[in-house]
Amino acid sequence: MPLSPLHRHFTSSDPELAAVDASLRVPVMASLLCAVHWMVTGTVLLVYASSLAHPAERIPILDIFTWLSQNLSAFTYGRVWPAAVDALVYGWAGSASLGLVMWVLARMGRAPSRAPAALMTAVVFWNLGVAAGLTGIFLGQSSSVELLEFPGYAAVILWCSFALFAYWTILNYLGRRSDSDQIGQAWLLVGLFSFPWLYGAGSMLLGHHLPGSGVVQAMISAWYVHGIYTLWLAPVGLGALYYLIPKVSGLPLHYASHARLAFWVWLLVAPWTAVHDMVGGPFPEGTVTIGLILSGLIFLPVALIGISLLKTSHEGRQKHHESIVLPFLSLSTAFFVVVGCCEQLLSIRGFNVVLHFTMFREANGLLWVYGFFSPIIFGAFYYILPRLLDFGWRSNFLIKIHYYASVYGILLAIVVLGFGGIMQGVTLEDPDKLVTIFNADQVALSFQIATTLCLCVISIGNGVFALHLGWTFLEWLRGGVRSVGEDERPEAPTVPESALDPAAVEEAHA
Amino acid sequence: MITPVRFRQFFFAFLAIFAFAWIGLVALPWSTLGHLQPVPGAGGDDITPWDASGLAHAGERVYASEGCVYCHTQQVRPASSGADLIRGWGTAKNDTGDKPADITRRSYPRDYIWQNQVFLGNNRTGADLTNVANRFTDAATLYRYLYDPSVEDPHNSMPAYHFLFTTRRIGNGADDDALALTGADQPASGYEVVPTAEAKALVAYLLSLKKGYDLPDEVPGPVEMPKPENAP
Repeated sequence: MPLSPLHRHFTSSDPELAAVDASLRVPVMASLLCAVHWMVTGTVLLVYASSLAHPAERIPILDIFTWLSQNLSAFTYGRVWPAAVDALVYGWAGSASLGLVMWVLARMGRAPSRAPAALMTAVVFWNLGVAAGLTGIFLGQSSSVELLEFPGYAAVILWCSFALFAYWTILNYLGRRSDSDQIGQAWLLVGLFSFPWLYGAGSMLLGHHLPGSGVVQAMISAWYVHGIYTLWLAPVGLGALYYLIPKVSGLPLHYASHARLAFWVWLLVAPWTAVHDMVGGPFPEGTVTIGLILSGLIFLPVALIGISLLKTSHEGRQKHHESIVLPFLSLSTAFFVVVGCCEQLLSIRGFNVVLHFTMFREANGLLWVYGFFSPIIFGAFYYILPRLLDFGWRSNFLIKIHYYASVYGILLAIVVLGFGGIMQGVTLEDPDKLVTIFNADQVALSFQIATTLCLCVISIGNGVFALHLGWTFLEWLRGGVRSVGEDERPEAPTVPESALDPAAVEEAHA
Repeated sequence: MITPVRFRQFFFAFLAIFAFAWIGLVALPWSTLGHLQPVPGAGGDDITPWDASGLAHAGERVYASEGCVYCHTQQVRPASSGADLIRGWGTAKNDTGDKPADITRRSYPRDYIWQNQVFLGNNRTGADLTNVANRFTDAATLYRYLYDPSVEDPHNSMPAYHFLFTTRRIGNGADDDALALTGADQPASGYEVVPTAEAKALVAYLLSLKKGYDLPDEVPGPVEMPKPENAP
C-alpha cells in the first residue's frame, strides 16, 4: 500500500548527504522564503510598472494606477520600474542563489556546514540590504544607474553580507570531504568571486559619479549590467544545472569533455556583451569593435553548454516521465540558449543599431531573470525542499499549473517584447523624416499592453508557487516537524525517494 | 566524466580572464576618456563646452530620482549607425552665432565632461533629450508639459508629474511661474498650480541640454588651453 506523502521519507539515503542537508535546513529555507517574498513583490511591481506604459483610457480599470503614478512620487514609473527589477535581481535571484549555492557546494563537498552563524548573518543582512535599497528608491534616492539604483547605505550592506557569504563558501570548500572537483563547482566559484568585484567596483565608481569622467560612467555601467547577467547569474545558474541535471536524471552528462572549453570561452567572451549598449554611442570605436568580435563568439559556449545539458535532461525526462524537477531545468536550459541567440543577434552591428533602444533589450533582461534563472530556482527547490524538510510538496496539480504558467507566460512575453522591439526599432530607424517618436510609441503601444497581459500570466505561475510553498511550509511546521528528531525515524525508507520525483538518484554522476 | 578543475590554477586563470574585460571596458577607457578637458571655443578665449548652472546640476539629481533615464536617452549616434540625425535629435541652434544657423551632429565624449552624472540611457520609449532645450525653449512650456504631457499628443505614454507641482491659494497676485492650465487640468478658481523646487531644478537641467556648438573631431587626451588672464 503506498504511503501518504506525510509518512514518506525524502531525506537522502546516504547518511553523509543527509547530514549536509540537516546542517543547512535553516539557512536554505530562510533564503528561499525571503527570495519568494521578493519574487512576489517584484512581480507585482513589474505588472504595475508595465501597466503604466500604456495610457489608461484603453483599460479603464487601470485609472487608479495612473492616478497613483501622477500624484504620489513613490508610484511614478521611474521609481517603480527600477525597484521591480532590483527586487527581482537582488531580492529574488540574489537571495535564492545564496540558498542554492550553499546547498549545492556543501553537497558537492559532502561536508556539513561550518560557521553556521556567519551564514545566517549573511542571509539576514542580504535581505535587509535589499529592503533598505528598495525603500531608498521609493523615497527618491535612486542613483538611476541600471541595476545599481540602491543608495550607498544599502549597497554597503549587500556587499558586506555577500563577502561574509563568500567567506563561508570558501571555508566550506576548503573543508570539503569529497575531492571530486567538478565543472559545476567552477561555475559556482566564478559567481562567488565575480559578484564582489562587480558590485564593489560598480557601486564605488558609479556611486561617486566620478565628476568629469563623462561617458566612462556609461561604460562602467554597461560592464556592470552585463557582468551581473553573464558573470553572476549565468555562472550560478549553470553551476546548479551542471550539478542537478545529471543527478536528477541519473545519467552522465553528455559531451562532458567540452564542458571545460565552454566554461573558459564563456568567461572570455561573455562580459564583452557590454558593448551591445555602446554601438554608435560616444565611445571609443576600437573598444566597441573588439567587443563585438568577442561577444560574437558567444554562440560557441552557448551551443556547447546548451546541447550537452538539453540532451542529458531530455533523456532524463524520457526515463522519468513523472519528474517535476527536470522540466524546469530543461526549460531554463532552453531559455539559456534563447538568451544566447539574443546576445548573438545584438553582437551584429546592423541588428544592434535597430534593436538597442527598444523593448528588445527589455526582453533580453527578462530572459536572463525570468527565463533562465527563475526556472532553475523553481526546479532546484522542488528537489531540495523535500530533502531538507523530509516533507513532500502538497500538490502535484499546483506544480503543473506553475509549470505551464511559467512556460507560456515567459515564452509569450519574450515573443511579444522581441517582436515589438523589432517593430519599434524599425520605426525609430525609419529614414523618412516625417516619422517621429510618437509613431514609434504608437507601434509599441499594443505590444506594451500584450506584455502586461503576459506578465499577468507569469505572475499567476509565481503566485501559485508562492502559495504552494507557504502551504507546504505551514503544514510542515504544524505536523511534520517530527523529522527533526531523527531517533524517531522507523528505519531506512523502503519506498522510492519521492513519488513526485522518482528520478532522484544520489550522486549518479560520481 | 566531468573534467576536474584544480583550485589554484582555476583561480589565477579566472582572475586573468576577468581582468581582461575589466581593462578593456573600464581601465583603458578611463585612462583615455576619463579626464577630457574643454577645447578652445570659436570666439577667442571661450571654452567649449561650457558648464551648466548650479540649479541645472541640482536638476541632475531630480532626473535621477524620478528615473527619467528609463525611457529617455541622451546620445545621438552618427549617420552611419541609426537614424538619430534624421529624427532631428542631433540638431541645435548654433550658440556661437556663426554660420550655419543650426548645428546637426552626433554626440562626442567631450559633450559630457561637465555633467556629474551622465544619463546616456538604453531605452527610447521617449524622445532623445540631447538637444531637448532646442525643442522646449522656455521654462513655462516645459512646466506645462511635465504637468500633463498629453497636451501635446493625447496618446502620449509619458506619465504626468503632478507631484512635482503644488496647488495653492493665490495670495498677493499670481506667482510668476504659475502654470497656464486649461480644460481638466485647470485648478479651482482662486487657486494656482506652481512648480516645486524639484521641478524648477529639473527644468533648469533640461534647459541646459543643448549642444549648440561644434567640437573638433574627437582627439582623446588633454588639449592645450589658453590660460585665463585673471584666474583665481
